[in-house]
Amino acid sequence: MSVTAPTTLRERPPRGPRRTRSGRSLVGYLTMPVFLVLVGVVLYLYVHAQDLDSIEVRSLNASRLTKAVWESVQLTVVSTVLVIAIAVPLGVLLTRPFTRRIRPYILAVFNIGQAIPTIGIFVLLAVAFLFLGFKAAIVGLVLYTVVPVLLNTMVGLEQVDDSILEAGRGMGISKFGVLRTIELPLSIPIILAGVRTALIINVGTATLATYINAGGTGDIIVAGLSTNRTLVQIVGAVLTAMLALFIDYLAGVAEDLLRPKGL
Amino acid sequence: MTTAETGQQRRIMIELDALSKEFPGQEKPAVDGLSLEVPEGEIVILVGPSGCGKTTTMKMINRIIEPTSGRIILDGEDVTKANPDHLRRRIGYVIQQIGLFPHMTIAENIATVPKLLGWDKARISARIDELLETVNMPSSQYRDRYPKELSGGQRQRIGVARAMSGDPDVMLMDEPFGAVDPITRDRLQNEFLRLQSEFRKTIVFVTHDIDEAIKMGDRIAILQEGSRIAQYDTPEQILTAPANDFVADFIGSGASLKRLNLSRVADLELTQWATARVGTDREEALETLRRSDHGALLVLDQNGRPRRWVSAADLSRSDGQPLDRIGMEPEAVVEPRATLSDALNELITASYSVVVVVDQEGVYQGIVDIDQINESIRTMRSNAVARAREGLASDRGAGEVGSVSE
Repeated sequence: MSVTAPTTLRERPPRGPRRTRSGRSLVGYLTMPVFLVLVGVVLYLYVHAQDLDSIEVRSLNASRLTKAVWESVQLTVVSTVLVIAIAVPLGVLLTRPFTRRIRPYILAVFNIGQAIPTIGIFVLLAVAFLFLGFKAAIVGLVLYTVVPVLLNTMVGLEQVDDSILEAGRGMGISKFGVLRTIELPLSIPIILAGVRTALIINVGTATLATYINAGGTGDIIVAGLSTNRTLVQIVGAVLTAMLALFIDYLAGVAEDLLRPKGL
Repeated sequence: MTTAETGQQRRIMIELDALSKEFPGQEKPAVDGLSLEVPEGEIVILVGPSGCGKTTTMKMINRIIEPTSGRIILDGEDVTKANPDHLRRRIGYVIQQIGLFPHMTIAENIATVPKLLGWDKARISARIDELLETVNMPSSQYRDRYPKELSGGQRQRIGVARAMSGDPDVMLMDEPFGAVDPITRDRLQNEFLRLQSEFRKTIVFVTHDIDEAIKMGDRIAILQEGSRIAQYDTPEQILTAPANDFVADFIGSGASLKRLNLSRVADLELTQWATARVGTDREEALETLRRSDHGALLVLDQNGRPRRWVSAADLSRSDGQPLDRIGMEPEAVVEPRATLSDALNELITASYSVVVVVDQEGVYQGIVDIDQINESIRTMRSNAVARAREGLASDRGAGEVGSVSE
């Protein structure tokens, strides 16, 4: 046996230094940022070449645009962080054996949350509760995106091989220890995929927050629509798309970095 | 239940006392009042048909499954109600699927229990190196790898190393070699027996394979449905004197062949074969071959490891090529710890009629041929018959009075 043991692995080629852990090359990582910068430059030059009237100037200036983008970022990040804080612990609880009986009911409640479009929730909050602004927008976004993260957390935890858990328990790791050192790390890729979905939904839906006075890039689009200025509409739409692509890119990078080695 | 003679001398390490397990919704208990004593330093095999409750029984020892009633006594201490996590850290646990943690390196996997036991870093690190050496996987090469980078046999070795990491007195093994191919399995079994001869752990080993049971066990418990013991005895006794029809059926036919699992190549007197070192020239090699009555020469390298089989015809056709370039590669090579059954298997699949025996470093020790194995079978069978007749003779002695009047 000693004769055969080492041979099989020696042939494995060492990993190239340029490759990252996920196997994505450096070029792969740079493509999206470079593309976004190019789009930004083209947009800037295009707007610059136009003769802007006073209405357009009021919408298309640096401070107004930065503020709108920053508000969108805040809406997205805060809502997603809250979603993670709610959905991951809930997913853990709902995969423990003692919650088996109540699991379907809780899932049904959250599914209702996802069935109602966010714009509906915004309107409901505004009309029925006179609840407007940033916090109201966050409530609407969170209600809508808890479900994908919750489901992915549950699927992630449940796909961990039983034999791995049995080995862990059999060696005397406590229940909480198994959750912390084995189950959660092994479900990170799937949980993160859910978080990424939530981010994308949130960054898109955040444009609707303008209707309840919560700002964001939706402000620009709506301003363009109400004043009938196509250029303003285009700038708002392109900024929204760029922000969505950039956040998705960052989420992808985070997935690569946070994925446990060895999987 | 028959208690073997050696049982009295050894300390009892694990005692199961009227252990039962009933699963909700099942009519019959999975384990029905099992009592069993496992002596220190022995491998006790629980073997039986599927569904007989052997795995449930084993998993109650470390309380992965909680018994419904009965007691578990470990090294004189009743652990039926002890903290299960602390109990499990004292018991090595190997399962068929191995269950290595894929996101941890080999070193981290092995360090699991020592960390739980609160060892310091230097001690843990030294322990990892030691264990990897023990299972023949050089630490420098393997400790930072991930499980997916290993072959099935290597993973199984790490599984065993991980189970031994906290230096437990007791180990539980649930079909540990069930998921590897037959050749790797034989090797792992032999290697495990070598480790066991060194460490003398108390081991409860579950399998459904009677051949594995005979090969690995110091003692075998053959279980029937409900984990009732049909026979608890040494492999030799079980093969020679099955307690009832169930045991006889379970062993199946070919008890003599199975007995080959009981003797090892090391028990035989090895025959020497005509050999030549790699550098030897052709004339000298031919001369050696001529002086022997063999059909071929075994060529050894500088370190004495077998390299080639070279026949007279190969030599005359050699055209001055060195000895290690002609002839054919030795296939049937076994270590002294291999059973005669292993040797016979090798012999049958190889293209010539002898098995080359090498030591752990692969150095040539001698050969075993089919006649020697045959002779062993004959001896074992006549011994078994003699033992069986002993009982007969004493019966006859008692009945003699009656037969005289005939």
